Amino acid sequence: MNRTLPWILPGGVLAAWFLASGLGWIPSYLLPPPSEVADTARVYIFGTAGEGPYAGRFAGDALASLGRVGLGFFLAAGLGLSLGVWSGRVSVVGRLVNTSINGLRAVPGITWLPLAMVWFGIGLKTTVFLVALAAFFPIYLNSAAGAAQVNPLLLQAGAMMGVDRIRGTFAILLPAAMPSIVTGLRLGLGISWAYLVLGELSGVPDGLGAVIMDARMLGRIDMIVVGIILIAVMGQLSDLLLKKVLKFCFKSAAHQP
Amino acid sequence: MSQTPHKSDAGPMLDISNLSKDFTVNGSRIRVLEHLNFQAMAGEFLCILGQSGCGKSTLLKLLAGFVSPSSGYIHFNGLPVTGPGPDRCVVFQEDALFPWLTVEENIGFGLKGKKLTTGEVENRVDHFLDLTDLTRFRDYLPRDISGGMKQRVALARVLVLSPRVLLMDEPFAALDAQTRERMQDLLLSIWQSLGQTIVFVTHDVTEAVILSDRTLVMDRVPGDFTDIVGISPERPRVHDSKQFMALTRQLKTIISA
Repeated sequence: MNRTLPWILPGGVLAAWFLASGLGWIPSYLLPPPSEVADTARVYIFGTAGEGPYAGRFAGDALASLGRVGLGFFLAAGLGLSLGVWSGRVSVVGRLVNTSINGLRAVPGITWLPLAMVWFGIGLKTTVFLVALAAFFPIYLNSAAGAAQVNPLLLQAGAMMGVDRIRGTFAILLPAAMPSIVTGLRLGLGISWAYLVLGELSGVPDGLGAVIMDARMLGRIDMIVVGIILIAVMGQLSDLLLKKVLKFCFKSAAHQP
Repeated sequence: MSQTPHKSDAGPMLDISNLSKDFTVNGSRIRVLEHLNFQAMAGEFLCILGQSGCGKSTLLKLLAGFVSPSSGYIHFNGLPVTGPGPDRCVVFQEDALFPWLTVEENIGFGLKGKKLTTGEVENRVDHFLDLTDLTRFRDYLPRDISGGMKQRVALARVLVLSPRVLLMDEPFAALDAQTRERMQDLLLSIWQSLGQTIVFVTHDVTEAVILSDRTLVMDRVPGDFTDIVGISPERPRVHDSKQFMALTRQLKTIISA
């Protein structure tokens, strides 16, 4: 029962989709039937060139997108985590940067797109910039909150046991702040996928977002749906991977739900 | 002053002279401790007895080196105290164990980073697991064990470091009466075999009479000693002996004056 529970909702949606298409409630130019979408997905993922404009392009697109998400997310995680933990622990740093960061946070990420295109042109750099910028804020805010809320007794306990600053940071402070940090990283990774598509809509030749945009111009609704589903699956898988990596690195992350 | 089997010919382990501590609360200075003078001899069991809010926890934080004095001196083994260190270990009132580490890992925490082989670390941890009767629970996380067991872990994790001085801040105050008595017995037997100097803060008159060689009674804020009471050298102490009751009455009179 517990294993089937998460699949009930997608299964229900799929059934409703079958029904709606089969009974002709939805015309296929708005939403093609599941069979057609499944076939498009098959050709997109496994097809060989010649079967259609998108045949066999999945691996290349997925790699391009993953590279952009990965690079942007790692930049955001590196900067957000270190700056966040620092400002959460050292009040001078917090006061120095928090006003500016909150001001920037109020600007919707999409606002940066025109500027990013002027600075970085179209392609990898612009996308990575947008992803990193958007993912930075939840990672920074949650790391800062987590670090600030660490029970001071734990740090005192470390100090009286003779733990030095570096070990205190990695063996006490980070593990103790881990619940918040995990939340921040997962939120950041989710946002990374959203901004990936935004960056790729700006006219790059490859990537899942680019395929969706291209399919819209060619009127290939089936391909758009395939793109959406694949992004959902890859987002979910990357979230799982992130959780596994964190649990492997930090015991305190293992007690997360 | 009483005799203990551990007293050495060397000077005092802790030498406190003219110690004062002020805190600034809402812009106004409050004197918490005023011109304290006392010494703890090597191997002595010293209790600091006082009602809540008299500054006795602050005194312990000063001895540990978590905060520095506003004026006056604390000498440990002839040298001024400049910060926390594993030669003066603290057992806190609340649970200050690392919640993501097992009982065994908590106890071994302070030994990591010391130049010990894995075998030596294991031997020491095993020894103190056994001494505190926690061997069966070595793989448990702190959230899965009782309050008394947590305080035994807190005791074991500092005992592995062989501290010269144990600073204990009402460590058994949150325990039920029976567990508290067992913990007192355990502490006494450990002290009698290892011979550390112990400074034990409590608000419980009976506890002070059971445990200490000498009891320093603290006044209300600003804290100062109203009296220093030597307790009988006789051990183990019988709770319903005449002498025991007389001492308890004497301390109760002083503390409520």
